[in-house]
Amino acid sequence: MFRPLEPVSPPARIALGVGFFVLFLAVWAFATLGGYVSRTFLADPLTMVANGWELMTKFNFAYDIGLTIWRVVGGFILAALVGVPIGIAMGAWKPVEAMLEPFVSFARYLPASAFIPLLILWAGLGELQKLLVIFIGSFFQIVLMVAVAVGQTRRDLVEAAYTLGSTDGGVVRRVLIPANAPEIAEILRLVLGWAWTYVIVAELIGSSAGIGHMIIDSQARLETGQIIFGIIVIGIIGLVSDFLFKAINRKLFPWRFA
Amino acid sequence: MDGREIARPGPDRGMVFQSYTLFPWLTVEQNIMFGLAERGAPMDKQRAVAASFIEKMGLKGFEHHWPKQLSGGMQQRTAIARALANDPEMLLLDEPFGALDNQTRGLMQELLLSIWERDRKTVLFVTHDIEEAIFLANRCIVMSARPGRIKADVRIDLPHPRDYRMKTSPAFSELKARLTEEIRAEAVLAAAH
Repeated sequence: MFRPLEPVSPPARIALGVGFFVLFLAVWAFATLGGYVSRTFLADPLTMVANGWELMTKFNFAYDIGLTIWRVVGGFILAALVGVPIGIAMGAWKPVEAMLEPFVSFARYLPASAFIPLLILWAGLGELQKLLVIFIGSFFQIVLMVAVAVGQTRRDLVEAAYTLGSTDGGVVRRVLIPANAPEIAEILRLVLGWAWTYVIVAELIGSSAGIGHMIIDSQARLETGQIIFGIIVIGIIGLVSDFLFKAINRKLFPWRFA
Repeated sequence: MDGREIARPGPDRGMVFQSYTLFPWLTVEQNIMFGLAERGAPMDKQRAVAASFIEKMGLKGFEHHWPKQLSGGMQQRTAIARALANDPEMLLLDEPFGALDNQTRGLMQELLLSIWERDRKTVLFVTHDIEEAIFLANRCIVMSARPGRIKADVRIDLPHPRDYRMKTSPAFSELKARLTEEIRAEAVLAAAH
């Protein structure tokens, strides 16, 4: 068990994974129900569940969840549609990289949340502003990571393609893109996780619906149970989307897992 | 080549590298069809050519496997098939069997010989293995250590078809002794620098 890099059996893996969730819940319940932490600051698990039920049944929280998901997915898809081709171009053609890389590296460190006041001025408080926050937060990350992945394509595969008669365009289409497709999918999975942080921040400021809006609303009323419920919902959605992404990758790139 | 100057790689010269360079996202069949597909050959021609090389290279039953699922010897057989599928005028092999174990290497040499004896295509084969060089070649060119110049050009007059038993014949041993001397001198020089 303590030998490094020794694999675990699938049942043990599941038991350990679920076990830690149980441990986490137990510590939380002990601290709150046992009276060690003030209820005003941290609700206990039972109150959280009750609050969550109330949110779902009385306040139509499902609508907020749906809205938030659509904002994340919408902004993220826009960023991916523009960012992936630019990243591939940067990875494939060095002059493009030389031109864009310094700017993208700079833009990557501009915090998306700092753009929110500016974006509200430009795009108002509507959906476009939310999508733009996520777009700015995801776009530069996608571009840079895809460029690095494509730039690191095995050189010998490119040479092999040339000896088989590939043109320059053929190398991009039939070597660089398929060789890095799994990497690119993995990058998108990672960045989607980050996009969730941006959407909540965007909803905390100047929003009338969405999970983030509910959280800031609950803060005013000291409803910590609702806040925690909101956070847990985000966690569960993240877990599910991660799982879906991995399943789709496994299906799309069987050669990787053969 | 044929009076033309060579400036860049092209499909008229088939190339097999020492490292495994099959495209990992393509199956054995798709790898073999790669060159034809790049030149826009019709699909049924691609399939027919691939099928014939799969047969010749003993890859039957593995057409739809990915490179990752193949042994090193099978990967290099696929790589040779991929190069030959383009019907190149010349085959360039850069230590293609260098990473294989000794037994597999012997079998691959016999396979390559049998292909050559059938098609008689010019093959330029780079190797460090003297026995491999004599067994496969009609002409052995010994290169000197840095700078790489042609040091000796030895005709190998062993008759075709050749088989593995030839490796232990007196004529073979004699050639081997001679080339060993030539190359040892270079190795000593290279080690001294």
